[in-house]
Amino acid sequence: MAGVMQKFILASMIMWVAPMAILYGFNHHIIPGSGQLSSSSQTLLSGFLAVISVNLVIVFYIIMAMKEPANRESQPDPAFLAEAKASINQSATTTSNPDAQSRDKVE
Amino acid sequence: MAGSSSWSRALMQISPYTFASIGIAISIGVSVLGAAWGIYITGSSLIGAAIKAPRITSKNLISVIFCEAVAIYGVIVAIILQTKLESVPDSQIYAPESLRAGYAIFASGIIVGFANLVCGLCVGIIGSSCALSDAQNSTLFVKILVIEIFGSALGLFGVIVGIIMSSQATWPAKTA
Repeated sequence: MAGVMQKFILASMIMWVAPMAILYGFNHHIIPGSGQLSSSSQTLLSGFLAVISVNLVIVFYIIMAMKEPANRESQPDPAFLAEAKASINQSATTTSNPDAQSRDKVE
Repeated sequence: MAGSSSWSRALMQISPYTFASIGIAISIGVSVLGAAWGIYITGSSLIGAAIKAPRITSKNLISVIFCEAVAIYGVIVAIILQTKLESVPDSQIYAPESLRAGYAIFASGIIVGFANLVCGLCVGIIGSSCALSDAQNSTLFVKILVIEIFGSALGLFGVIVGIIMSSQATWPAKTA
């Protein structure tokens, strides 16, 4: 589970930072060549590049998620399994006792 | 203008900044509403289905990523729109070009907000069914992912039209 969470958090953070960085770069003319654009084409270019970067991160995450081995965690948690079996055995032994108890109470 | 009906005069005298600010608020607010709705629908099914089938978590987080992308589209457009807000001198506030810029920002915000609202909802419901069916039969995942990609394209349409709409929001020059 830790590997899953790490990949997810990394992809989410890149998904937030990349479009903001692109928009910041265009608005403050950090990206070379953005100073010569007219206002409307600067808006169009920065907007489309930001949206494309978000979609690239999504595609990247899909590829990473599909490449994981499918049956690494196909067994349920062994501790949970042991406790479940123990509780089944315990309830099986307690079902055989109530007949003796009810005879005691009648007396 | 003096002989026009009172409704049209009232509408023309609302400041374009009002419309522009409401557009920016709707673009981010309603997009995040759609994204949150999608994430909680998908997240609750995913966590429930992962009790018996823990293997589904890493692939089905793709649905959550699609919903989060919807929120990011809203943020991107809100940032773009607020760079389009400029101050104009008092004499120009009700000039036709100012009104046009205010309405363009308003329209862009509404387009993006509502497209992302329904996109987030759509991807959330599909993602929840995807988690449940993947837990039963893992060959179904890729087929349902195709449907989810179509659903997420709806938000993309809204963002594209919203950005194009906002790129032509030009206020009158200050020296006029």
